[in-house]
Amino acid sequence: MNERLKKELESTFKDILVADSGDNCATVTIKYSQALAVLRFLKDKGFDHLALLSAVDWIEEKEHELVYILTRYIQNIDEYRDESKLHLIVKTRIPRDEPQFQTITGIFPIAEPYEREIHELFGIKFEGHKRLTPLFLERGYKIPPFRKDFDTRKYVEEVFDKIPFAENKDK
Amino acid sequence: MDRNQITKWFKAPAKMANKYSLHAIYFCTGCGIIEVPPVITSRWDAERFGVIPVATPRQANLFLITGYVSVKTLRAIIRTYEQMYEPKYTVGFGSCPVNGGMYWDSYNTIKHLDKYIPIDGWIAGCMPRPEAIFIAVTHLWTLIDKGMANGYIRYRENYKSYRRNQEMALGKLEWPPLYPIDSNFEEARRE
Amino acid sequence: MVTKVMQIILSPILALVVGVFFLGLARKITARIHWRYGPPVIQPVIDMIRLFYQKSVSHGFMFDLGIILSLAGSIVVVLFLPFGQICPLSSSGGLLVILYTMLIAPLGLALSGGQAANPNISIGISRKLILSLGYEVPLLFVLLTVMTHYKTISIVQVVNAQQSTGWSLISCPLCLSGLSYFLILPAILGVRPFDVSSAPQEISSGPMVEYGGKYLALATIEHAFALFIGIALFVNLFLGGAANIVSFFVKMLVVFVLGLFINAVFPRFRIEQAVKYLWKWPTLLAFLGLIITLAIRN
Repeated sequence: MNERLKKELESTFKDILVADSGDNCATVTIKYSQALAVLRFLKDKGFDHLALLSAVDWIEEKEHELVYILTRYIQNIDEYRDESKLHLIVKTRIPRDEPQFQTITGIFPIAEPYEREIHELFGIKFEGHKRLTPLFLERGYKIPPFRKDFDTRKYVEEVFDKIPFAENKDK
Repeated sequence: MDRNQITKWFKAPAKMANKYSLHAIYFCTGCGIIEVPPVITSRWDAERFGVIPVATPRQANLFLITGYVSVKTLRAIIRTYEQMYEPKYTVGFGSCPVNGGMYWDSYNTIKHLDKYIPIDGWIAGCMPRPEAIFIAVTHLWTLIDKGMANGYIRYRENYKSYRRNQEMALGKLEWPPLYPIDSNFEEARRE
Repeated sequence: MVTKVMQIILSPILALVVGVFFLGLARKITARIHWRYGPPVIQPVIDMIRLFYQKSVSHGFMFDLGIILSLAGSIVVVLFLPFGQICPLSSSGGLLVILYTMLIAPLGLALSGGQAANPNISIGISRKLILSLGYEVPLLFVLLTVMTHYKTISIVQVVNAQQSTGWSLISCPLCLSGLSYFLILPAILGVRPFDVSSAPQEISSGPMVEYGGKYLALATIEHAFALFIGIALFVNLFLGGAANIVSFFVKMLVVFVLGLFINAVFPRFRIEQAVKYLWKWPTLLAFLGLIITLAIRN
């Protein structure tokens, strides 16, 4: 992890935690009020490829965690020329009841389907997203399916096992 | 070809022709489709059985439903199945159409394909070997000989319950019923 | 009179038998080239019996009419081709009639496709017509060369002239035209390097996407006739026709198997690659043959 990048991050933002997780990864933990500013700062530094956006459900701590993985395509930016390929993992936490966050499609337009997926699977609303319609799922769920308190076996028994066989199997 | 077979051709040409010319529609349903290209190419040749893949349901009379069936895929499967011309045969391929398979407690796959479209036979396995596909084809020949491969007839007779099951799984369907059902079906559907 | 009527009835039946045999033989030989066993040689017959027993759904009147029109166009072309000693309508027209009735078949498919309203059909038909544009240019040059050299437009007279002067394929200016025709023969038949119009993997079988049941059986019969027409024209114009049916059939078989060896190992051209190929070397060779024939005649 480049020491200069770490110093710049720590000097520009307060309440930030930068750690080296080995194997060309670095973790940046921030508060969600400054998430957009940090992402825009990192994009200006050359990390213009959003590789993944996903969410984790910490049910005991009553928080959702959003994870952004950023890399950069162009390796020959003058300041970081002799650095190897680096993945930056940016994490923020948001409260679990009525989860709501701001969309990052203004910074990374590719995040639009990722945010749709997280909205339908975790129930996190993204303000400012133009199209929060269902992506994979077809039916409505009372509890979003990827949350830890969603009982899959009970759901299957209620919805799918109740449908009877179409023909009389006794024949 | 011995004399027995030639007389069978003259007695029941429809049955023999349906047996030896099974054109399978190349609908890549799920993960099981990875087993089909080895079957139709040089190593395990399926063309000597008369089985070739075709690209459109109008020209096909065999539907191999390979792999798991999510709710969205079920919509496409029902539309494809209803476009095929009769007589048509369906084979559930892999253990996921049989009883859910690996995804037995998933929130978005259907567990028993038998409730939504009629199935003539199953091939168990995850994934079945190409030799299992050939055994299934020869079993299907035996069933066609005996007249027991009548999935399409059962679909026509029990269309009301199939359509009710499809609507319970998929919500409102955009296509009209394939066979006429009576009007008090619409109120009974709500229950 | 009676023999003429019998020849008119017999000629399409023989052409159908030969065409269907060629379809089955194509699948068998292609399979053997691919190091596998293939279906039995009568597999197209089994397919057609099965297709006739299926209950098909029609899209309307034009849909039925189009495929019948296409089949009728092919049968009309067959009636103008001498087949050994059988030549029903030989004294009227000949090469010119064949040239423009060969185009009824794709137009019939386009007519039925217009009612089925599937976008794959329009893509397939446009590709087929562009391919026709591609091979019509060298085909016109070839036929003009043959007509100029033998000073006739009747195929029967061309065949009879070759009995005395030898095959056209090995005589001097026409060998170029023969080579050019052999190079565009796959495009006329619609087989593998040039089967872009009915590609199953790309456009879901193109014009035949809504055909099933008896329509597909009629389309297969039309394909069999198209096979017969392309090869029989080559044999009549360049390999000297034949005195009887058996030697004609043997010559057709040799040409077909040679073409099949090329067909089995080639992938598919895109439409612009196909037209570029068809307008380059075959057109050049045919044009050269025409110029030399005109020069010799003068």
